[in-house]
Amino acid sequence: MNTQTGPDAGAQPARACDADIAVLRDVHYAADSGKTVFRGLDIAIARGAVTAIMGPSGTGKTTLLRLITGQILADRGEVIVNGKNLATLTRKEIYALRRRMGMLFQNGALLTDLDVFENVAFPLREHTRLPERLIRTIVLTKLHAVGLRGAARLSPQELSGGMARRVALARAIALDPDLLIYDEPFAGLDPISMGVVMRLIRSLNDALGITSIVVTHDVREISQIADASYILSEGEVVASGTPGQLKEHPSPVVHQFMDGLADGPVEFHYPASDYHEELLNGQGR
Amino acid sequence: MKDVFFELVDSLRAFLETVGQMTRFFGQLLLLTPRTLLRGGLLLEQIDNTGARSLVIIMTCGLFVGMVLGLQGYDLLQRFGSEESLGMAAALGLLKELGPVVTALLFAGRAGTALASELGLMRATDQLAAMDIMAVDPMRRVVVPRFLGGVITMPLLTGIFIAIGLFGVQLVGVEFLGVDKGSFWSQMRGTVELGDVWEGLIKGSVFGVACSLIAVYEGYNAIPTAEGVGRATTRTVVISAVVTLILDYILTAFML
Repeated sequence: MNTQTGPDAGAQPARACDADIAVLRDVHYAADSGKTVFRGLDIAIARGAVTAIMGPSGTGKTTLLRLITGQILADRGEVIVNGKNLATLTRKEIYALRRRMGMLFQNGALLTDLDVFENVAFPLREHTRLPERLIRTIVLTKLHAVGLRGAARLSPQELSGGMARRVALARAIALDPDLLIYDEPFAGLDPISMGVVMRLIRSLNDALGITSIVVTHDVREISQIADASYILSEGEVVASGTPGQLKEHPSPVVHQFMDGLADGPVEFHYPASDYHEELLNGQGR
Repeated sequence: MKDVFFELVDSLRAFLETVGQMTRFFGQLLLLTPRTLLRGGLLLEQIDNTGARSLVIIMTCGLFVGMVLGLQGYDLLQRFGSEESLGMAAALGLLKELGPVVTALLFAGRAGTALASELGLMRATDQLAAMDIMAVDPMRRVVVPRFLGGVITMPLLTGIFIAIGLFGVQLVGVEFLGVDKGSFWSQMRGTVELGDVWEGLIKGSVFGVACSLIAVYEGYNAIPTAEGVGRATTRTVVISAVVTLILDYILTAFML
């Protein structure tokens, strides 16, 4: 399946993509507990675009990111990143591939024993032998890009949630990656921080010429910046296209998700026995 | 009866699985050790973390253990009229047993729990996953330096504990209870051999490897929740204490 990109209200015009940076073909995956997460997933992430991966909680969005970054391997099917099938790579080759990726974790995942400056310098110190002066320049440039140059000497404990995420973003772009992955970047942020992060995702994508994958369920926010979106449900892609196309999608699951309806194909209640029967006849727990 | 049998089999299997996983983990640590030794800064940081920060507790406990040993030893030896042997008896006791064992138990309680909870929290807050995504192996960058820090500092802490302990014995025996100073030191020098010193240091080193391994293994493999980190910390202390005492018996049996 190819990603459909196209102009959408509020989003930047999509650019022509020469190739897909990540492709998942007929991916099947079951968790250690035996629960099937994906059954025949087909996704293509267009190079240079901001692609949103959406879906109700528990549909395996984070698992999808772990597949793309090679943290876990698919049980069946292919995961191809930058033209390389992850299943055939050694650990060393996967690490080489990850140097071209950046990932923003939901909570920032900053190293708590290092200050903001050292957190951003961390990948540079680990992977390069650049002189200290150059490292300083790069770190300050990246921090300036996310608006936190003035917070360089703060410790992670002194940062708000939004600031921590921006520092993590500066760290993720420290090595100028080709692919930037965001796991729930808007979760728990106030409207101002949310707007800042949203603007950063789009502007970094365009200014650095990278590809962005954003896993989120904040439909309204992501619709403003995404070039293409996928909606996952029950281990499959149920819809794909521009956010505008998804709004018009006939599928009830897509309709429920895009409009934020409490009940629908994705039920409000977790599967359980009959309510009245359990109340009347239940013995203990 | 059948259920009890199956439960026992399950427990045994779980125990063997843990031993197998820990052995594999230990092998990984050893494989990564040479490269970590080249990064002196990381290692020094951890020697400071596990060693220097344990100094106060080790020295305080060493002093009081020595003082108690002085009191008890004096009480026992004076019954036979040989209180001059206090220095020799206390030195052998501290070098061969009390020094390494008590240091290991204190190390597990102070440094071991700190290592386990730190690694567990790093797991729970995705710091280890973030490093892995940045193509930095958390085993090489975080776990091995902490393990080696513990391995290096344990024999040093043992030596310090013994030295302070002997000072405590001398303080109580010679200064407070009036044991002859000359006899105290000369009997100690005449009886204690280099082999006894080695025994203490070898025990300290072995306990250091065991306690550090248990701490980093439990922390690194902690379930990433508050409860999981708490459990990893508790397991570190309990398993370290039991393993230290079992190893102590085995080592003593071999070295006698």
